[in-house]
Amino acid sequence: MILQTESPLPDVLADLLGLSGFGVAGEFVAALIAAFIVGNVMLAMTGVAGPWAKRKITAKFTDRIAADRIGPAGIGTIPADALRLLSKELIVPEGADRPAWDIAPLIVAGSAMLGFAVIPMGSGIQLADPEVGLAYVFAVASIASLGMVMAGYASNNKYSMLGALRAVAQNLAYEIPLVVTGVSVVLFTGSLRMSEIVAAQQETLISVGGIAIPSWFAIVNPFAFVLFLTANIAEVGRNPFDIPEAPTEIVAGFQTEYSSVYFVLLYLGEFLHIFLGGAITAVLFLGGAAGPGPESIGFLWFVVKIWAFFLLTQWLRSAAPRLRIDQLIEVGWKGMLELSFLNLVLTAVIVGVVA
Amino acid sequence: MNPWIAIGALAVVSVGIPVAMMVVSSLLRPSVPEQGKSAVYESGEIPTGTTRIRFNIQYYMVALLFVVFDIETVLIFPWTVIYRPALEGGASMMEVLAPMLVFIGVLVVGLVWAWRQGAVQWVSSPRALEEKTEANQ
Repeated sequence: MILQTESPLPDVLADLLGLSGFGVAGEFVAALIAAFIVGNVMLAMTGVAGPWAKRKITAKFTDRIAADRIGPAGIGTIPADALRLLSKELIVPEGADRPAWDIAPLIVAGSAMLGFAVIPMGSGIQLADPEVGLAYVFAVASIASLGMVMAGYASNNKYSMLGALRAVAQNLAYEIPLVVTGVSVVLFTGSLRMSEIVAAQQETLISVGGIAIPSWFAIVNPFAFVLFLTANIAEVGRNPFDIPEAPTEIVAGFQTEYSSVYFVLLYLGEFLHIFLGGAITAVLFLGGAAGPGPESIGFLWFVVKIWAFFLLTQWLRSAAPRLRIDQLIEVGWKGMLELSFLNLVLTAVIVGVVA
Repeated sequence: MNPWIAIGALAVVSVGIPVAMMVVSSLLRPSVPEQGKSAVYESGEIPTGTTRIRFNIQYYMVALLFVVFDIETVLIFPWTVIYRPALEGGASMMEVLAPMLVFIGVLVVGLVWAWRQGAVQWVSSPRALEEKTEANQ
């Protein structure tokens, strides 16, 4: 069973709308429509996650109800909150470094969304499938830390400054374990192309009592999976690694001075980042959009997988205490880094023995 | 179709949507400038001193270390891609794995050195250490 035989979404759209006859211009229009669809699908998910699901999940963990005023189960909170936040006054802090302060939210939100370009979402929804897919997604996702530094430095606030410093220290410490663990999967697949990484996980590993267990890399190499998950949670800055924001220590870290639409964009960027982290985990370790049932419902499985990752981050938010900055550096540089290289060498040896 | 056309299109969209949100917001929101409203937030206190504070040297040390390991990571990428095809093409494990082990080994030596120098050990400020010893007495 190979899911990714379809051509990327822009090609399908170009054929469907008869744009393929217009050369590069037609292709770009088709790509633009496809990008708009993918962007809005992810925006819709963050829209559900941010103002509603996050509050509901935390409320369930702490035995409360939360957000039940508008619509069934409070779902009407989503448009209400969107309108409320967009119509807030924008307060510019004194001495803010102006162009940088305005561009930072764009970078945080934009870089997270750009990562979804190469993610195969199942049911033929994939914007592009370049040969360097995995390298691209890691590269683009880490641009966000630049936005965080800009936000923190330009705000002219000491809390923001500390938040930005912490964000950099954290992203630097966990970027390498994340990427090195990620490329240990490439040792199996021999390709950075996302569709090939997914396709390599579709074969049956073993059959237990008639149930075929697929060779998802989470099952093949659970050690790498746990390592990747930990580094990923640190990279998206969720508990127990949420020290760049640390609401009980430095107010809100790098986003302290942001209000109105700028705050929305920073928040949006963070949630997009969580979903991007979930999507990378799904592609590398959980068989992409694979699951029981016909291939056409692949997108549903993809949504289930990234929401499972989101649920994990929210579970940890309610359950795990935050690390201190010194502990963070020690866990990152003295633990995760060594373990990730150990994992790389072990995986190489296993692949060498198997192949 | 060239995949980078689609990625470029998403780049346009991922800047366009936030900019559109900013435009919508600028049409909706009020502007009521008041004295004190734009003061930097410092837990309700009047802000003191500059924001360009002196911060822990450790942030600089780990950033330096990162540069080394990031370049290493970039160099590991092509190796992981050719590893399996090379093995299946008949190369022995000695030929494809050993050079990378040497490469990683050199960096591990570097890491051990940095570790022993205290580059990955959080430095407490003298004042924090003083308070700690006072609390113990």
